Amino acid sequence: MSDFLWKIGGEAGFGIMTTALQFSKLAVRCGCYVFAYPEYPSLIRGGHNTFEVLLSDKRKNTSKDRIDFLVCLNKDTYTLHKHRLAKNAVVIFDKSEFEIEQTAELRLIEFPFNQIIKEEKAKEFMKNMLGLSASACILGIDKSVVEDMVRSTFADKGEEVIELNLKFVNYGYNYINQNYSEYKIDLLSSKSSKPLAVLTGNDAFSLACVLSDCRFYSAYPMTPSSSVLSTLAKWQIKADMVVRHSEDEIAVINNALGASFAGIRSAVGTSGGGFALMVESLSFAGVAEIPIVVFLSQRPGPATGMPTWTEQGELMFAVHAGHGEFPKIVLAAGDISEMIEITVKAFNLADKYQTPVIVLSDKFLSESLFSLDSDKILSLIDNSNIDRGKIIRQTNSETYLRYKDSADGISEMLIPGQKGFFYQANSYEHLEDSHTTEDSEPRVQQVNKRARKIQTYLKTDFQLPKVFGNLQESKLVFVSYGANKGPILEASRILAENDMQTAYIHFTHLYPLDEQRLKTEVFDKINKPLVLVENSSRGQLAELLREQAGITIDKKILKYDGRPFYPIEIINKLAEVL
Amino acid sequence: MSNLSAFNGYQPTWCPGCGDWSIGIAIKTALAQMGFTPSDLIVVFGIGCSGNMNDFLNAYAVHGLHGRGLANAIGAKIANHKLPVVVVAGDGDTYGEGGNHFLHACRGNHDITVIIHDNSVYGLTTGQVSPTAHQGAKSKSTPYGLPEQPVRPLHIALTQGASFVAQAFAGKVPQMIELIKQAINHRGFSVVNILQPCVTFNKLQTYQYYLQRTFDLDENHNKTDLKSVLSFVQKAYEEERFPLGVLYQVEKPVYTDFLQVLKDSTLVDKEKDTKTVAKELLKEFL
Repeated sequence: MSDFLWKIGGEAGFGIMTTALQFSKLAVRCGCYVFAYPEYPSLIRGGHNTFEVLLSDKRKNTSKDRIDFLVCLNKDTYTLHKHRLAKNAVVIFDKSEFEIEQTAELRLIEFPFNQIIKEEKAKEFMKNMLGLSASACILGIDKSVVEDMVRSTFADKGEEVIELNLKFVNYGYNYINQNYSEYKIDLLSSKSSKPLAVLTGNDAFSLACVLSDCRFYSAYPMTPSSSVLSTLAKWQIKADMVVRHSEDEIAVINNALGASFAGIRSAVGTSGGGFALMVESLSFAGVAEIPIVVFLSQRPGPATGMPTWTEQGELMFAVHAGHGEFPKIVLAAGDISEMIEITVKAFNLADKYQTPVIVLSDKFLSESLFSLDSDKILSLIDNSNIDRGKIIRQTNSETYLRYKDSADGISEMLIPGQKGFFYQANSYEHLEDSHTTEDSEPRVQQVNKRARKIQTYLKTDFQLPKVFGNLQESKLVFVSYGANKGPILEASRILAENDMQTAYIHFTHLYPLDEQRLKTEVFDKINKPLVLVENSSRGQLAELLREQAGITIDKKILKYDGRPFYPIEIINKLAEVL
Repeated sequence: MSNLSAFNGYQPTWCPGCGDWSIGIAIKTALAQMGFTPSDLIVVFGIGCSGNMNDFLNAYAVHGLHGRGLANAIGAKIANHKLPVVVVAGDGDTYGEGGNHFLHACRGNHDITVIIHDNSVYGLTTGQVSPTAHQGAKSKSTPYGLPEQPVRPLHIALTQGASFVAQAFAGKVPQMIELIKQAINHRGFSVVNILQPCVTFNKLQTYQYYLQRTFDLDENHNKTDLKSVLSFVQKAYEEERFPLGVLYQVEKPVYTDFLQVLKDSTLVDKEKDTKTVAKELLKEFL
């Protein structure tokens, strides 16, 4: 099958998000991969919400520009998207709400949403179920698949809700079968025995937190990180962890640092504004050598910016966050399987280096729905490990030195409780035994000790960027990080179909960087143009590479309107930058 | 009674005559009388002259950021709710920089004791006004007089849900020791506000000032009736007088009582099979 984009739109507050998740789950049950992206304004009612779902027989973590199927629950959906409609696109709308001029280019379906709602005296949001079932019928999904879905989705809502939804499924199927059976597309008529999981980047982070034995997660709600808080809060009993909604982001990180000091793996989640409030405490974690994982999901700033949209404007902020000099690790995932791997690693690195580790995401990754074979996730789970490094419950030495100088820069961290011992996690500069000092010699010793962790990290845990494609045979090489991976790989595929070979350098280990290895093992081998692709106006990964590794990228495809890249945009922009 | 000298760290660097000396001794004495050793508890220190006690008092300790001690203490208590947690902080820490944390710590009734050195000045930064300074107070940061009224810590603690509220005076050590012991023994958020002269920078609230204006609570003081305690505290405030003793104490559930996962074990002691749990949770996404 060729890629097919289904999109639904309607007023905020009417369940568009839930419907798209249900549609995605229906599609994967029919053996199809999905990638879905939501757009919504920062308000609860009114406004316009949309969700677009790409259907494909291959795993593609991107949407596409052309819409093949548009479900309009209001007029805005049509006016805002008509310029994106593909030839022969199916458009479902209600004539009682607005009219669309008949053309040969579109397959228009007049669906009596309002009439059915009125006749049934149903709530307005039930239009969703009509839109969903009408779509399912057109796309050839067996009705029983939809009915099963309804039963499992509303299992805890009671028989009455299930019956009502099943009735509306019937309306959708009957109306299409009776009036528009000629428009049916045989796209999703098969059933799959192979289970695909559908989860967002935030879901993947949450799952990996549990897997990593994170026992304390604190946060203050902030889009687009909030769903991690709600997901982990929902799971806290099953996961045997404490999830705390603290009074502000300063409390959030200091709660977590207190918990981490007391011996348990702890993490926090936020977006740029909340992260800004945490920054002083990040520096405290650095000097006191307290492990902490910070999930930073970016959105367009500055300040409140555009809360529900996407951007990658905080890479340099994350890298440089914190006053004074201390080691810090910044990692980023490009899709959900990377998110699971990176998060498990982040917890291990935080413990190993007893320092902050930032997991960078953005709205595009955090809130998009990705599909993945569940076997793949199961094997990620099975292959994961928990390594607490030099964190110990008991010391056998007679004198315990919390900040003992060492060749790798890492000292034993004793979990408080062992009789006969005590020490401080000290935010002041300190001696090896953790007492405060302002003397020259121990100051230099401790600064060097902490800095040595960076060398240890580069030697043992840093990973070079992943290279997709062949660097030598390519006409150009894309460079990026995060969920841009999806659109870039799809752009590369389309370009290859048109006889243009490209490669992609995908960073997951963003900071610190090993200048030598980056040059000799990757960038020195390239004599083709490098093209940075980033959701920001400055191209911060290029800034970072120049600053940290002396690598220059002057060709940049940048997008900073709050929307993620479509593959075709990357392709179209190439002509301008090359 | 355990060994008091086990708590002795470095020789303190406080000014001669500073109230911190007696508070430091009172805390150590209280801990020793309660049978604690430095390995038996977590102490979180703020930043300021009071916070400098970090090097003078031995314990499993956090010497964190100005104002954030309570937030660290809450996290530590959640991670290991069997260990006593004490916060030693100043009035700048608790009522200024960390005011929001104080409000919410009261509200959460976390089983933590906070001992506040209330001297109405910022000593370590050489004498600017603190949140409890009097309206009109002149200092380096307020040469023409402080426009604001003082923060009323007892009122805040009482109205926001602290289940133990006491006030002590650094000039009355035996009473201070008793109050600290009662506070640590209390199950819930216990606040001990200690009135403390700063001999170097505060020329108004001196030992003489407090000797004249402090008074012990009557034996019949009803410490469980919030309404009467509030009006009592308000009256004292209006008269610029300072009651000493346990003003308020009630039993009620503490924060960790509401956390189901802490019923059988502390978080730090849990044994878990996270792979099995993760596989179970993955089913939600199929």
